[in-house]
Amino acid sequence: MTLDWNVVWQHREQLVTATGVTILLTVATMAIAVPCGIAVAVLRLYAWAPVRAMATAYVELFRNLPLILVVFWAFYVLPILTGLSLSPLATGLTALALNVTAYNAETFRAGINSIRRGQVDAAMALGMSRAEALRRVIVPQAARRILPVLASTWVSLFKDTSLVSVIAVSELAYAAMQIRAQTFRVLEMLTAMAAIYWLLGYPQAKLVDWIQRRYAVTE
Amino acid sequence: MDFDFSVITDHWQFLASGVGVTLALAALSGATSIAAGLALALLRLYGPRWLKPVVVFYIDSMRAIPVLVVLVWMFFALPLVAGITMAPFFAALLGLTVHLAPYAAEIFRAGIESVRPGQTRASLALGMSPAQIVRRIVLPQAVVRMLPAFGSFLSITIKDTAIASVIAVPELMRQSETVQGQSFQPIEVYTFAMLVYFVILFPVTRGVERIYRRLAHLGRS
Repeated sequence: MTLDWNVVWQHREQLVTATGVTILLTVATMAIAVPCGIAVAVLRLYAWAPVRAMATAYVELFRNLPLILVVFWAFYVLPILTGLSLSPLATGLTALALNVTAYNAETFRAGINSIRRGQVDAAMALGMSRAEALRRVIVPQAARRILPVLASTWVSLFKDTSLVSVIAVSELAYAAMQIRAQTFRVLEMLTAMAAIYWLLGYPQAKLVDWIQRRYAVTE
Repeated sequence: MDFDFSVITDHWQFLASGVGVTLALAALSGATSIAAGLALALLRLYGPRWLKPVVVFYIDSMRAIPVLVVLVWMFFALPLVAGITMAPFFAALLGLTVHLAPYAAEIFRAGIESVRPGQTRASLALGMSPAQIVRRIVLPQAVVRMLPAFGSFLSITIKDTAIASVIAVPELMRQSETVQGQSFQPIEVYTFAMLVYFVILFPVTRGVERIYRRLAHLGRS
C-alpha cells in the first residue's frame, strides 16, 4: 500500500475553512445554550407549576435522545412544522443548541440546588431581598461549581459538532469525508481528520482537567 | 397537516429488528468497554510506572476525538492498515469499545480513589496482598459509589450506538433512515424513533438512580 500524505496538504484550505466552521458551531452553540440553559433552569426552579413541568419535560426529553436523531429530526421535521427553510448550518446549530441547552439547564439547576437553603434564609434574615440573596450569595458560590461542568460540556460539544456532518454542514468531519470521496485517499484523509480533532481537542481536555482541579469544591 | 402512522405498522418488523440491533450493540459494547475500562484503570493506578503515561495519553486522546471519527476510521481505514474486512456491526463494536473504555476507566479510577487510602494501609497492616485489597476492600465499596456514573455511561452507550448508523449498522437509527427514504414520511418515522429511544433511555437513567438510592449505604465508610 502506498500512502500519499500530500493529499492533506493539497486540500489545506478546505480543511482550515472546515475547522473554522467546527469552531464557529461550538462557540455559537454555547453562546445560545448558556443563556437559554439559565432561562430553562430558572423556569424549572421558580416558575408556575405547569411551566415548570414543561421545562422539566423538555430537559428530560433532550437528555434522553441521541443527538444524531435530533439532527435528522431538525433537518426533516422542523421545516415542515415551522414553514421555515433553514440552511443546513442553521439547522445543525438549532439541533446542537436544543441538545446543549437541556444539558446546561440541568447543570445550572444542580448548581443552584447545591447551595443549602439555609444560606438564603440567613441572607434574608440579614435583610437582603430574595433577588439580592440570589445575586450575592447563591450565584457566586454556584458559579464555582457550574464552571467545571460547563467546561466538560464544552469539550463534548466540540466533538458532537461532527454529527451535523450527516446533514451536509461543511464542518471538519464532512469536509474530510468529501475529500476522501473525491480523491479515494481513505486512510490519509480519515487519519488527518482524527489528527486535526485531536490537535484541537487534546489541549481542551487538559484545560478542563486544570479547571476542575482549580475549582474543586472541598466540603 | 395529515399524519399517517401506518408507515410504522407497515414496517414494524424492519424497525423492530433495528431496536434489537441497537440493544445488542449497546449491551455488547457496554460490556466490553467496562471490562477494558477496568483493566485500564487498574493499569493506571497500580500498573508499572512506564505504562501510566501511555494509558493516560490514550484516555485523554479519546476525550478529544469524536466517536463518529473513531467509527468511520475503524470501518474504512483500519481494514486498509490491517488488511482485514469487518462487518459494520463488529467495526462499530470495536470503535465504540475503543471510544468508551477510557470513559469507563475514568469512572473506575474516580470510584477507586474515593476509597480512603487509610483503608488500604489498614488492610496491608492486616497482611492482605495488594490484589486482595483491591478485590475485597476497595472495589466492593467503589462499585456502589460508581453506580450513578455507570447509569450515565449506559445511557451514553445506547445513544452512541445511533452514530453507528453512519457506517451502515442496521440499528434503529439506520432502519428509520431507510424507511424514511422509501416512504418520504420523515415526521412519522423520526418521531417514532424518538419515542422508542426515549422509552429505552429514560427508564435506564431513572432505574439506575433508584437502585443507587437503595444501595448507597453499602458504599459508605
